[in-house]
Amino acid sequence: MPDMQQRKRPKNLNLFTIRLPVNAIISILHRMSGMVLFLALPVLIFALSMSVRSESSYLELAAILQHWLVKLFLIALSGAFFHHFYAGFRHLAMDIHWMTSLQKARLSSRLVLCLDVLSVIAFTYAIW
Amino acid sequence: MLIELLTKKYPGMRLWLAQRLSAVAMAVYLIAFALILVAAQPAGYQDWLELMSPWWWRVFTLLFFTSLVMHAWLGVRDVFKDYIFNIKLRAVLQVLVDVLLIIYLCWAGVILWSI
Repeated sequence: MPDMQQRKRPKNLNLFTIRLPVNAIISILHRMSGMVLFLALPVLIFALSMSVRSESSYLELAAILQHWLVKLFLIALSGAFFHHFYAGFRHLAMDIHWMTSLQKARLSSRLVLCLDVLSVIAFTYAIW
Repeated sequence: MLIELLTKKYPGMRLWLAQRLSAVAMAVYLIAFALILVAAQPAGYQDWLELMSPWWWRVFTLLFFTSLVMHAWLGVRDVFKDYIFNIKLRAVLQVLVDVLLIIYLCWAGVILWSI
């Protein structure tokens, strides 16, 4: 009766009951933020072109950047950037075998999260 | 040992190193850029143009974009390999990303040299 027994196995398919360790959260956020930055790239290059093309396009860009919805977009993008930046440094540190024990890796993950939040707050303060 | 890892025998190692080196290059550029912005406090179009127009700064900026394209190519490639299991679909998307990234790099070059 192995078949019956298999059917009685408890299933745990509710993803919300599985808590990712902090290092895994940092890792998946690094990927997601990388993809977000890649997708935002054309918008940023377009903004660069507007900023240098002429004085009128520069002023037009400055006006667009004043809109609250654009500011929200920039704040979200800054979150992706800061996370990718700090978590990237963490990766580089580990590549040279620095902070590689589990305990230190957890510490550096928390440090990255703190820096993310502080940087986004500072960025929000600066543009608003 | 390290040199051997970078020979043709281990092509993945070179890509791995390219991803790290491009990351470091971008980090250096961005930190320098942030410091310049804080120091120069550009106000208005003329200041901004003056900041961006020295030939050596345009070269650094183009190197930044080159690193960015290299880094994004490797990063997106890894993501596609991990999540897209249909080989044909993955190949099509990868070509699309490659073309986009080349266009972005050319676009950045044109912008910088039309300042």
